[in-house]
Amino acid sequence: MEGRLAEDALLVERAQHGDTEAYGELVRRYQALATRTAYVITGTSGDAEDAAQDGFTKAYFALARFRSGAPFRPWLLRIVANEAKNRRKAAGRRPTVDLSVAEDRPSGDTALSPEAAALASERRTFVLGALRRLREEDRLVIAYRYFMELSEAEMAEALGVARGTVKSRLSRALVRLREIAAGEVIGDA
Amino acid sequence: MRERLDDRELERTLSEIGERLPYPSRDMWPEVRERIAKQRARRWWPLVIPRGMLAPIAATVAVLLVVAVALTPDLVARAAEILGLRGVQIFRVNETPTPARSPVATPTFAGQPALSLADASKTAGFQVEAPAELGEPDAIYVETAPVRVTLVYRTRTGIPVSPVAGVSAIVVEFRGRLDQAVIGKTTGPEARLESVPLNGGVAYWLSGQPHQFFYFDPNGNFQPETLRLAGNTLLWERGGITYRLEAQVSKEEAVRIASTLR
Repeated sequence: MEGRLAEDALLVERAQHGDTEAYGELVRRYQALATRTAYVITGTSGDAEDAAQDGFTKAYFALARFRSGAPFRPWLLRIVANEAKNRRKAAGRRPTVDLSVAEDRPSGDTALSPEAAALASERRTFVLGALRRLREEDRLVIAYRYFMELSEAEMAEALGVARGTVKSRLSRALVRLREIAAGEVIGDA
Repeated sequence: MRERLDDRELERTLSEIGERLPYPSRDMWPEVRERIAKQRARRWWPLVIPRGMLAPIAATVAVLLVVAVALTPDLVARAAEILGLRGVQIFRVNETPTPARSPVATPTFAGQPALSLADASKTAGFQVEAPAELGEPDAIYVETAPVRVTLVYRTRTGIPVSPVAGVSAIVVEFRGRLDQAVIGKTTGPEARLESVPLNGGVAYWLSGQPHQFFYFDPNGNFQPETLRLAGNTLLWERGGITYRLEAQVSKEEAVRIASTLR
């Protein structure tokens, strides 16, 4: 963790002094995180990649005012999330996004029995359905915590709120998620 | 069967969803690099004004004034079509920052305090000069990244104390040539910019209620700066150092003060 921060700081400093390849390293390092963040907002991977690339471009031109010593990751995500929000606004807002995940990617499920794996998959579909109907800000705070696994401090920075606000925002978002989910049914009725 | 997820199940399910979110499998950098290059070549001036700096937004039409005297060849190529060369061009922009008004008795200025001009010069790496007309500065601050020196004059006879910063005048000095830098300034609709003769050269006088100031340093990096007094400002350059005097005085008075720099 410390190592990553120090490496980021070094890459940012090099980029600030005109070393574009150092910035390239930062792009490679965070392209997955940036795209996923954008995806949570836009709901389509095409838009998400576009927003991530524009976010990286904007961040590059904003490097001059990046506070040295500050963590790069949440600062970048904030820019990317804004790009994604703008894109979604421009596209005309729909109440839900077409969020979906790859169900065929194994990740620890291999140890599960076929029944348990099927149930887990069903749960994901169920929660995903609720996530789709959640407000953008709520989805984002949940994504930062559970999808990107940001620390509280990073979440505060990425969301642009005080650190003390993060916890209450997250629990509020989870309550809303549950409320939406409560109306849904898992499995056969 | 109506089933409720308990907290642990919900959290685990969310993590599982996170692991399965799509992400690009190819290297994005070539595309990002291309976007950066494209944007550099295009209207670079309007694009570099960061959105965040324009908030909170006053719903007024503002005038963005740009002073471009002579630029490095590289910058000239990019700036020529937008700025026009050798002279001043006025841009209208749709948003202007609301001036930060925080009347404080003892303003804090950025940087380390220095005991004397000699001390400040040693830290700054250039000869720091002060207008004799204003007498000894009451405080001197030196910032090192980038290097910038601020001389503070708390009260001076005949110069009103700024309600914004609680001082009569400041002089700010930094390395950078007006003929290598683009200096821009966002101002309210009332603001005016004119060039005035100074010591056989030229200085730029900004009056009205300017409150923010942008310039490009010799590396071409965009540097935003907030005017501390939000009052009349005189900008000039001498020997590779750019000076700015902020004080609520007349143009003639500002020029007279500037001419006593030593």
